[in-house]
Amino acid sequence: MKDEEDKSPPSPVSRLTPTGSPDPVGDVLSQFAEESGRGVSSRSDFERLKGRFLGREKGLVPGLFARLKDLPPAERAAFGSRANTAKHEIEDGVSRLAEEISKREAESRDRGDAVDITLPGRRARVGGLHPVTAVRRRIEQIFLRMGYSVADGPEIENDRYNFEALNFPPDHPARDSQDTFFIDRKAPSPLLLRTHTSPVQIREMEKRGAPLKLIVPGRVYRNESVDATHAAVFNQVEGLVVDRGISMADLKGTVEEFFADLFGRDTRARFIPTFFPFVEPGVDVAASCIFCKGAGCGKCKGSGWIELAGAGMVHPKVLAGCGIDPEEFTGFAFGLGLDRVALLLYEFPDLRLLLEGDVRFLRQFARES
Amino acid sequence: MKFSLSWIGDFVDTAAAGGAEGAQRLLEQAGFPLESLERSGGDAILDVEITPNRPDAMSHRGLAREIAAMAGVPFLIPSPLIPSPPAPGGEGQGEGGVSVPSVQELTSVEIEVPRLCRRFGARVVRGISGAPAIESVRSRLSSIGSKPISAAVDATNYVLWETGQPLHAFDLDKLAGGRVVVRRAQKGEKLVLLDGAEYELVPSDVVVADAERAVSLAGIMGGLDTAVTAKTENVLLEAAWWDPAAIRKTARRLSLHTDASHRFERGADPEAIPEALDRAAKILLESAGGTMAPGRIDARGAAWKARKAFLRLARLRLLAGEDKLDLDFAAEALSRLGFAVSKRGKRLQVGVPTFRPDISIEDDLAEEVLRVYGYHGLPSRLPSTRGGGGYLEPLRQIEEAMADAGVALGLYETMASPFVDRATEERPFLQWIAVAGGAPQPLSVANPLDQTRRDLRSTLIPGLLDSVARNVHRGERTVGLFEVGRVFDRPGDPADPPSFESRRFAFALTGDWRGHWSAGGPSSRSDFFDAKGVLERLVSPWMEPEILRWKPFAADGFVPGAAALAETPAGEILGVVGLLSRSEREKRKLAEAVFAGEIRVEAIPRRGTPARFEPYSAFPPIEADLSFAHSRERTWQVLEEFVRAQNLAGLDSIRLVDRYEGPGVEEGRAKTTIRLTFRAHDRTLEQEEVNREVQRLAAQLTAHLGVVFG
Repeated sequence: MKDEEDKSPPSPVSRLTPTGSPDPVGDVLSQFAEESGRGVSSRSDFERLKGRFLGREKGLVPGLFARLKDLPPAERAAFGSRANTAKHEIEDGVSRLAEEISKREAESRDRGDAVDITLPGRRARVGGLHPVTAVRRRIEQIFLRMGYSVADGPEIENDRYNFEALNFPPDHPARDSQDTFFIDRKAPSPLLLRTHTSPVQIREMEKRGAPLKLIVPGRVYRNESVDATHAAVFNQVEGLVVDRGISMADLKGTVEEFFADLFGRDTRARFIPTFFPFVEPGVDVAASCIFCKGAGCGKCKGSGWIELAGAGMVHPKVLAGCGIDPEEFTGFAFGLGLDRVALLLYEFPDLRLLLEGDVRFLRQFARES
Repeated sequence: MKFSLSWIGDFVDTAAAGGAEGAQRLLEQAGFPLESLERSGGDAILDVEITPNRPDAMSHRGLAREIAAMAGVPFLIPSPLIPSPPAPGGEGQGEGGVSVPSVQELTSVEIEVPRLCRRFGARVVRGISGAPAIESVRSRLSSIGSKPISAAVDATNYVLWETGQPLHAFDLDKLAGGRVVVRRAQKGEKLVLLDGAEYELVPSDVVVADAERAVSLAGIMGGLDTAVTAKTENVLLEAAWWDPAAIRKTARRLSLHTDASHRFERGADPEAIPEALDRAAKILLESAGGTMAPGRIDARGAAWKARKAFLRLARLRLLAGEDKLDLDFAAEALSRLGFAVSKRGKRLQVGVPTFRPDISIEDDLAEEVLRVYGYHGLPSRLPSTRGGGGYLEPLRQIEEAMADAGVALGLYETMASPFVDRATEERPFLQWIAVAGGAPQPLSVANPLDQTRRDLRSTLIPGLLDSVARNVHRGERTVGLFEVGRVFDRPGDPADPPSFESRRFAFALTGDWRGHWSAGGPSSRSDFFDAKGVLERLVSPWMEPEILRWKPFAADGFVPGAAALAETPAGEILGVVGLLSRSEREKRKLAEAVFAGEIRVEAIPRRGTPARFEPYSAFPPIEADLSFAHSRERTWQVLEEFVRAQNLAGLDSIRLVDRYEGPGVEEGRAKTTIRLTFRAHDRTLEQEEVNREVQRLAAQLTAHLGVVFG
């Protein structure tokens, strides 16, 4: 049935008005099969192909239908039906090509967006809190949860608040343990840098009376030569509870709970008598060594205990001096050094690092922020 | 303080107390923890920490009493070495029945300062040889690190360590007039002491004098001229009670700290004097022979009182938090410790021994009972106190939030020493200190650790800059630090110590602050606006950046034109930000730009603006960018205010997109791009109406501010 001459590629004119072929529909189909089989390399290639077959004006498929009117009426129905089938086939083919080209385009776009996912992320710069601040906040959180408030007081004090009201008599050897920086010795009550946070006990009791339940973190000053384990400028936290019926048992329970929360549930507390003028009885409090759990190691000098805090029942003279009746109210107080706790928890070798501002040091505690 | 366990064993059965470990445990329970425990030969040397309120425990006998009380074993008195007191009839008779002069015939003691010397006891031993102290005395002294010297001196030292009573031995023949006067020193009176140094005395010093001159600094150290030597034949032994405050004052003034002053400052026992004298005399006689002059001088100053206190069972139980405690136990505990106890109903009447100057009130007695009971035996509970707080001071809350923001901005917190030198370190920031309300003169420490840094800081900036420099010198290229702390800048009132302080938050940064692996180039270097942005961000929870007012600021420490003050809407100085001046950088050997800022925490309103819903437009915005060149004189503030003043219809916001000065733009001029966002609350705006407004603005900018578009 096929005419040999028609196998040559049709001229543009013959595409528009194919003549002489015994099977123009078959020709168009096979031509589409061949061209679409080669695939399209770009969107413009595709548009060209689509136009050549389906273009409304000059497309080969519409060209087939144009021939209908030239056919004898008896052939028109069969030809028309074949042409329609061919049209659908070609339209499907074009859609497939369209999908293919879209997909390829999307892939090519995505290739442009691909990255070396192992390059470092662009992290926002993050700093960190000072280790003493980190420890202070941990301790504040422990006591805030127990319903304590956090009080604050001045770093410059006078003799009355720093010593006298705390039952340190003038010229008493107890003052030797607190080497003092004086600012004005000639003031009616000599002006000094506070040697402990305890003056805030007095200020709070004077201001608020009883009952009271508070802690006082803050910076304190001692005129001491500085070395790896001694600082002239350091930080303490002080606790004070005054109420009816407060006892050594309350102090014991509170300190035990505090140590357990800060150092771990298996930490024990030991209380031995000592002397501070503003408490009676007074105790030294040690925690079971957090490194060896009390077995004895280098850090606790083999004793199994690390001395951490001073504490006791608020001296009745101190209460009375603040206008609180010591017959009605009793109270306990405790105090400890924050820098020392930081030293224990983070195990750095020298307290002087705390005032250096070296970021190689500070960076190590950023995760505590 | 070092003590020998075997010596303690003269007064308590240490084996019954559990040996060295037992003694350690019991002393700890009593409040005398050991620094160390060293075994040597058959003995153990205990290095004991003794608090200043317990002079009675600064002796072997005193520690033995504590161990015995804690263990519940007998306290042994007298010790085997205590001499039997001279029989009344025996005195005045020498060995051969020859009458020998009594101590009263050989010397006399006169107390001119009865309050400062309540008792002065003396004994005389005559005709001693140059023999050293007996072996047992010397070896015990050696064991606790006290060097044997001579029979007389060793006798006094032995008794000091045994009973806690300090003594002194004079060469009687060198005392002018052979007599003793206790008096105040004369102004300018000089005395060479046993340490070989000459001291100039003042009338607050108490001396032991002879008929002519001071021969001993009372309670502290004897004089060299009248000291016992190898040639001494006749010895006067002194044991006295001295006023603690007077001894302390002199000892501190002369920086003389001795075993004697240590005890007298803390309070000696006036009733220990006769026995101590007898004991020392006995040891001297046993060691160096000679004869004891019969009798004892017992000169008295002001009387000392026997103290009494009571202890209620209810108070004991209240303080302990333990209802199992009873009066029988309390009475037993106090008796073991040497108190005289009698039970009166629900309380104990207690006579306080003179060796316990620390006991004066009921709670002191409660502590004594609890020491014997042991704190480990008390129950534990948590106080039920309510309404105590759960709050943080408002200013502290602000500081905490700012610290968190500082961390989020990439800054590390530091803490610097507050001791500075105003004249050098703070001088470049004096203008800031002044404008922030600081006093013209700094507060200074009278007794500084470092003479070159005696002033208290009035700004945190220099300390931060030093930390930045340290980091840069150690190889850190990009550094950002902050500090939250007190400065002592206020012109305060000494009667009100808090009035001197204020709170600051300061920060400093340098290097490629925005730097990143893909964002190289000069634009990543920190600039003034990074620092300004830090300040704005830090205070933003309480004050929107838009409401802060910025003013140019000149201070020596900052580059002129690159420093500014921020004011609150109320017109209060909030803070400063600036580029560190060249000289400040050179001083710290810093090559790159460093920015610093400081915020007055008190200037921040305690309560920020409370959050409240404001309705926003549901309609889309239209944006328009405008780029124009203008004189540098037209600051952003001028431009922004001008744009706002035009009341452009539908204008929602104005944003700076770009500011450029440099190649392509004339000297003295800058190019600015702003982005205007228009948006209506009730409808979608038309592009044409926005264009009209933008054109109106452009015309006004050209006409009034001389800007050039394009």
